[in-house]
Amino acid sequence: MLKLAGLSVKYGSFTAIEKVDIEVNEGELVVLLGANGAGKSTVFKAISGIEKWSDGDILFNGSSIKKKSPDRIVKAGIVQCAEGRELFGGMTVYENLVMGAYVHRRKKAQVKKSLGHVYDLFPILQEKKDSAAGALSGGQQQMLAIGRSLMSQPKLLLLDEPSIGLAPLIVEQMFEVIQKINEEGTTVLLAEQNANAALKIADRGYVFESGSIVVEGSSNELFTNDSVRKAYIGA
Amino acid sequence: MDILTQQLFNGLTIGSVYSLVALGLTLVYGILHIPNFAHGALYMLGAYVTLTSMLLWNFNYWLAIAISIVVVGLLGVLMERLVFNPLKNSPPIHDKIAAIGILLFLEALAQLVWGADYRTMSTPYGEVVNVFGTTLTMQRVLINVGAVIVMILLYFFLKKTFMGSTIIAMAQNRKGAHLVGINTNKVAMLTFLISGGLAAIAASLSAPINLVFPGMGHLVILKAFVIIILGGMGSVPGAILGGYILGFTESLGATYISNDYKDVIAFILLIIILSFKPKGLFSKEGF
Repeated sequence: MLKLAGLSVKYGSFTAIEKVDIEVNEGELVVLLGANGAGKSTVFKAISGIEKWSDGDILFNGSSIKKKSPDRIVKAGIVQCAEGRELFGGMTVYENLVMGAYVHRRKKAQVKKSLGHVYDLFPILQEKKDSAAGALSGGQQQMLAIGRSLMSQPKLLLLDEPSIGLAPLIVEQMFEVIQKINEEGTTVLLAEQNANAALKIADRGYVFESGSIVVEGSSNELFTNDSVRKAYIGA
Repeated sequence: MDILTQQLFNGLTIGSVYSLVALGLTLVYGILHIPNFAHGALYMLGAYVTLTSMLLWNFNYWLAIAISIVVVGLLGVLMERLVFNPLKNSPPIHDKIAAIGILLFLEALAQLVWGADYRTMSTPYGEVVNVFGTTLTMQRVLINVGAVIVMILLYFFLKKTFMGSTIIAMAQNRKGAHLVGINTNKVAMLTFLISGGLAAIAASLSAPINLVFPGMGHLVILKAFVIIILGGMGSVPGAILGGYILGFTESLGATYISNDYKDVIAFILLIIILSFKPKGLFSKEGF
């Protein structure tokens, strides 16, 4: 479904990621592990068309997305839920969600259906639908960010560190929901530092270190890999 | 008492024009972070296009204004496409330099096409009316009513239409707008279109009570910047309220202090307000 072939991204003379190969198949939940600054977010920015890349290519369902603008990538079905959440702080929860369905804005019935789906996944959002997004707690904002991404009915959902800064109990709920979203048919590419929680729900994973992939394999393989355990699981 | 009501009405009129100009400026700043110094030139061209359509083709006042809105609006879009869009990844200072460049270019162009003479614009609404013992010209009444109607329409467009809410979304979070699939280029063009249109309306409404000349945008744009700074950069309610505050202060100051200091008052007001509210009356969240 998604294929990164020898992808390199440079910020000026600094190489953020170098010759990265990643493959995500339809229906999978794939995790990218790595510390801060390892290059996970850069990969996501490149896939979303926000960051241009210097070498290699990104293929979505077999065709290159190099020339596609960010809005056309969303239309094609790749939606990112970014690390900073990037909500519209002054708008209400409801308005944020409706804005999330921007690419389907002319299909009213479909927007309504997606809205119902998001409210089912995150009942708290329905309760708070008239609150300003900026006034929500961190966990609720993260739920809203994921909910907003789902409003455009993505084929491939990119989740950038959804657990960052959240209480352990909320993190657990968050991962349950992510698993549910995946089981309902959305392919998920997840960037995480919380390797323990992420590997429990993922099919496969890649480990990033200073801009390159150092280990890849199934969740079980990574879970039992000594260097991964030392670096990210701490046991 | 008589003179007070008269001056309050004058303040309202001046404030209406200032608010319309400041609205266009604040929209562009709030959404694209460009301090568009060339906005004053758009205002000036708005007056010239209306004047020319009336004189050359004998169009009536309203049709001339409509043409002016379209022409200046499209000129704004052209500015975005040719100048600001190619600069969007450059340091912010480049936008400022480019804006001043456009301002100088458009003014020189106006001088070339229309000459440097002061011109007057005639209006079909020159008659004088008496309201509560105050003498008003219809044109001034028109400025006030027209400005309020335009502001209400703008409000409904921004708050109640999907297209309008994409503008607000981009003002609140540009990256977020990218992520939900909003075409930010389209929003940028739309913003410049509205901004140019507002400048054309303001200029066309106020030209009959002022003069039309290539430098007519100078003082107006300076004051519009004062307004959006004191109202809060990028804030829509701030631009409206700031415009009226400045209009009232100027007209009352001109009467009760001195007419010579009329244009200084704006800047004194700016210093006073920023001393107490350094971020302006409305922070940007009030968009």
